[in-house]
Amino acid sequence: MLDVKLRKILSHFSLELNFKANKGITAIIGPSGSGKSMTLQCISGLEKPEHGEINLNNEILYSEEKKINRKPRVRRIGYVFQNYALFPHLTVEKNIGYGLQHLSKEDKNKRVEDILAKVELSAYKNRYPHELSGGQQQRVALARTLVTEPDLLLLDEPFSALDHHVKYKLEKELLTIIKENFHGIVLLVTHNMEEAYRLSDHLIIMDEGKILQSGERDTVFYQPRVKRAAEIIGCKNIFPINKSEGSDTYEVNGVPLNCKYTLREEPHYIGIYAQHITFVDKESTLTNTFSFEVVECIKGLHQSQLVIRVEKALTLNVSIPNHEAEKLSSDTNKVYLDPAHLFLLS
Amino acid sequence: MEVNLFPLFLSLRVALTATFFAFIIGVPIALYLQRSKSRFASILETLVTLPIILPPTVLGYYLLVLLGRQSYIGEFLENTFGISLVFTPTGAVIAALIVSIPFMIKSATTAFGNIDPMMVQSARLLGRTEWNIFFTILMPLAWRGMLAGITLAFARAIGDFGATLMVAGSIPNQTQTMPLAIYDALLAGDRELANILVLIMTVVALLLLFAINRLEKYVGKRNRVI
Repeated sequence: MLDVKLRKILSHFSLELNFKANKGITAIIGPSGSGKSMTLQCISGLEKPEHGEINLNNEILYSEEKKINRKPRVRRIGYVFQNYALFPHLTVEKNIGYGLQHLSKEDKNKRVEDILAKVELSAYKNRYPHELSGGQQQRVALARTLVTEPDLLLLDEPFSALDHHVKYKLEKELLTIIKENFHGIVLLVTHNMEEAYRLSDHLIIMDEGKILQSGERDTVFYQPRVKRAAEIIGCKNIFPINKSEGSDTYEVNGVPLNCKYTLREEPHYIGIYAQHITFVDKESTLTNTFSFEVVECIKGLHQSQLVIRVEKALTLNVSIPNHEAEKLSSDTNKVYLDPAHLFLLS
Repeated sequence: MEVNLFPLFLSLRVALTATFFAFIIGVPIALYLQRSKSRFASILETLVTLPIILPPTVLGYYLLVLLGRQSYIGEFLENTFGISLVFTPTGAVIAALIVSIPFMIKSATTAFGNIDPMMVQSARLLGRTEWNIFFTILMPLAWRGMLAGITLAFARAIGDFGATLMVAGSIPNQTQTMPLAIYDALLAGDRELANILVLIMTVVALLLLFAINRLEKYVGKRNRVI
């Protein structure tokens, strides 16, 4: 288990973290410049925090109190950089063997051959990094790290340097390689929510050096608790609550919204994803159904982005498939805000 | 006529020795300058650039004052080791070293600066020590950029007149290097000797340039950089 408690003063804000990560993939998401990469650098020892303690599998890597700051080379942490940082003057084989200098030549060769086969790059072992595609370079970087059998694997925006059309395929490949060859803790830093959702088991949402929310992936994604966290995840409909009526109804601009969930803290905002808003028949008697008019409709490749006005009072962003958008009419439909999909925010 | 080739060999010896030391001393300084953001580093950077700006005679004068028998350093060396630097070939090497080292440091600093810092970070996380990283990553990647500095340093060292004259003098068959011998021949009205020496210098310079070009191409081929 990784246990991080640290504080580091940066130029625009200070990084203040307190989190634990277990086996599996934990994604750290947040806007650019929120301190995500710095977090990885502090954990790996490339940067030194000012306060706190970092523990990996009950071994202290850094402790301000105990005056411990272990060197990066003894921390047993694998780090895949955004640009992969492969050594341009070394072949694929030598790049991968770089971290195995303590082994005998035979052992080293065997381990390198093994991992090359696993990442399907055996045929490329004598090539230089610049002769490989972006995806192959990524696999070399991953293999170079995994071959040293680290306890913790850090991935810093691993897909940002790749073309969009190969991303999905590579995501799948990366996930397979990691799941099959690595059984430790993985921290993945990204600003892409889709990527974070597809790859991770746990989520940490960060902004300006602080953790806004963390936990199991679906819980964090579908029930954000803080307004800023919801914004970062990509929720486009967030409204201040005017007043609460009873225990589960909240009024926004005169529109009463029923919400299934409660919040420990005093709720100030209510939100719903654009993708979770649906339309039902006008005769429907479900709660949270309202009349609406379409203000704007932008048709995308597969999804249409609508701006609708609910009960002439509330403006909502909606994302629905094109074929549904085409059939939609304010004369025959009502908008439905599922109480199970609305969430309260503090 | 018989041409005394002593100045040529002395020049080559002095320039090669100076370049060698410029490399040995310059590379660590360059690495320090590239990495450190301290006040001392910026002062040092200005200081090592100074010889490019200052006239060689001024540099030579400083060296003379610093290393001469009246100075602490000169006195100490003379009394303890019996070494005198002024008006010796060693003095010529020191003069050549001072005028040429800025070029070495400048090019090495740039060469180190062009290396992606993540590369060094990666190497650290893969378990290598700083020394090991220096020889396996930094030098192989910076080597090509440094060749330009080595060339410039050598050219500056072999061509120095002012600083060498001040520190080492122009004693025939002792400290008289090629530029000094050419000037000497010209002063003595020996145009023929001056012509021959100038021609030799030109041929040597061309040969060296050619060799360095070849070396650069060879290193370039070996040293594949994205």
